[in-house]
Amino acid sequence: MYRTVVNRILLTKNTGGGRRCLLRFPDLRTAVSSSRFSTTTEPQTFPNRPLNPADSSTSSSSTSFQTSSAAGDIPRQERKNPRAEYQGEQARVLQASLRHVLRLGWSEEAMIAGAKEVGISPSIVGSFPRKEAALVEVLLGLNKFFMDDCLQRLIDRIDSGEELQDLIPSQCIYKLVRFRLEMQAPYISKWPQALSIQAHPLNVSTSFKQRAMLVDEIWHAAGDEASDLDWYVKRTVLGGIYSTTEIYMLTDSSPEFRDTWLFLDNRVKDAFDLKKTIQEATYLAEAVGAGMGSSLQGFVGKVIQR
Amino acid sequence: MALRLVTKTLSSRISPKLCSASLLHSHATSFGFKEVREEEKSQMVGKVFSNVASNYDLMNDFMSGGLHRLWKDRLVSKLSPFPGMKHLDVAGGTGDVAFRILESVNSIKRRALQDPLNDDLQEETRIYVCDINPNMLDVGKNRALEKGLGEDKSLVWVQGDAEALSFEDNSMDGYTIAFGIRNVTHIEKVLSEAYRVLKRGGRFLCLELSHVDIPVFKELYDFYSFSVIPRLGEIVAGDRESYQYLVESIRRFPPQEKFASMIADAGFQKVEYENLVGGVVAIHSGLKI
Repeated sequence: MYRTVVNRILLTKNTGGGRRCLLRFPDLRTAVSSSRFSTTTEPQTFPNRPLNPADSSTSSSSTSFQTSSAAGDIPRQERKNPRAEYQGEQARVLQASLRHVLRLGWSEEAMIAGAKEVGISPSIVGSFPRKEAALVEVLLGLNKFFMDDCLQRLIDRIDSGEELQDLIPSQCIYKLVRFRLEMQAPYISKWPQALSIQAHPLNVSTSFKQRAMLVDEIWHAAGDEASDLDWYVKRTVLGGIYSTTEIYMLTDSSPEFRDTWLFLDNRVKDAFDLKKTIQEATYLAEAVGAGMGSSLQGFVGKVIQR
Repeated sequence: MALRLVTKTLSSRISPKLCSASLLHSHATSFGFKEVREEEKSQMVGKVFSNVASNYDLMNDFMSGGLHRLWKDRLVSKLSPFPGMKHLDVAGGTGDVAFRILESVNSIKRRALQDPLNDDLQEETRIYVCDINPNMLDVGKNRALEKGLGEDKSLVWVQGDAEALSFEDNSMDGYTIAFGIRNVTHIEKVLSEAYRVLKRGGRFLCLELSHVDIPVFKELYDFYSFSVIPRLGEIVAGDRESYQYLVESIRRFPPQEKFASMIADAGFQKVEYENLVGGVVAIHSGLKI
């Protein structure tokens, strides 16, 4: 939730938040003179509303980035950087790479093709955050970006109202999950690869977090105000529904994934039915308990009276 | 002019970490722990490398216990080369890094056999090995012949000065300098030249011996550097002086953070560094956008 909130703020206000960039600058405590190096960098805005392969409309967002460094002896003016900053360029490359994923898979080749398309040297592919294995990280970079992007679009859709208030929760959930999965539909032929990348031990924590955020967003949009154990139960259940539907979709060959939506509908109904069943079972147990309790009380009372 | 004189006299007394100007100046005039004139420095470095050229690789193995191979592997994997790449390896005389890049590119080609486009690209890969010292280049060329890469037109051996490269602006996808930047007279010139020749999206990678801060390990490393290495140089290569220069020049080189800021000053973005072996070696990287 934090991240989506931050994104929204960044989108609207275009001012800095508090994410440290990777620039490191020394603090010369040992020096005789009091020269001090400090660099503060304000984070850029994340690109929003990116390419949708279905309707092929693009809008690029400009990123603004301010680097200021003040040194003791070498005076440097505050540099308002008019050039595109590297995060913006990286995002553009990823965007362009998405177009090649269907042909080349979620791989370095797709990213290299993307970079060439944008007119930037493919060396930039090497600068994507890496952990250990070079190729996996590159894959992660592309995949992660895609997930963020879909999440963003989902949020936008939610924000734009879209008659969600009128629907009952189960319908609401159905619509949102369906909408989200439809975003993946264009890549479905390569999606198993994407899932395997997400399941890779190095990437599991990130993908889990993204899923959690997604599920949270959907429930939030469906108007959920639970705050106790219910919160976890709801999200777990929705997570289960989402995952199973996603996997079902991989092997679905019906036109426009009709079978998948049917499957989703049934699962959502099941979940809500289950909830009702549990509720009813709880009431029954309470009633029985109350009934038994009072009769037990009466019995014990009579026994004691004697 | 007056300022320069003042800083020159001061720098010999006060620690070189005083201020950037004097730091750079002191780098330009330091030959290890000795003070020399700027004009002389490159000549003296030249002599060192002409002396060590024939034993360079052997001594590397001895001094680092074979680790230098892993360090260079790491450098190349960070670079993530691709077919059709134009790469410049500066101060890469004996060709270690260049050979690794070539191997990496060729293996990618084998992997991506399904893409017919890559076959043409493979032909376009060019790795320029630039070194100021012709002796080192000769050693490199011989090694290439031994590896069977003599006829490979991907490898181009160029003699040149890192401070004044003969390549065009925006012509290189990648730039590496492995264990070379310590020896240049003007670091900032090398960095700005690197910035000039790189294309947009190109990466600068620098592998260099750097500073160790870990308490106990630092003492061990210092002992190893000052007692073992020159002795080793004497025995194996018959040249104690050169290896004394080597270890001293490591100490005089700016520490990781300082060097990172110098790279950023040259215009690079996303400047990061990775310490290997606790800081004995550091890989600095920057992106040109």
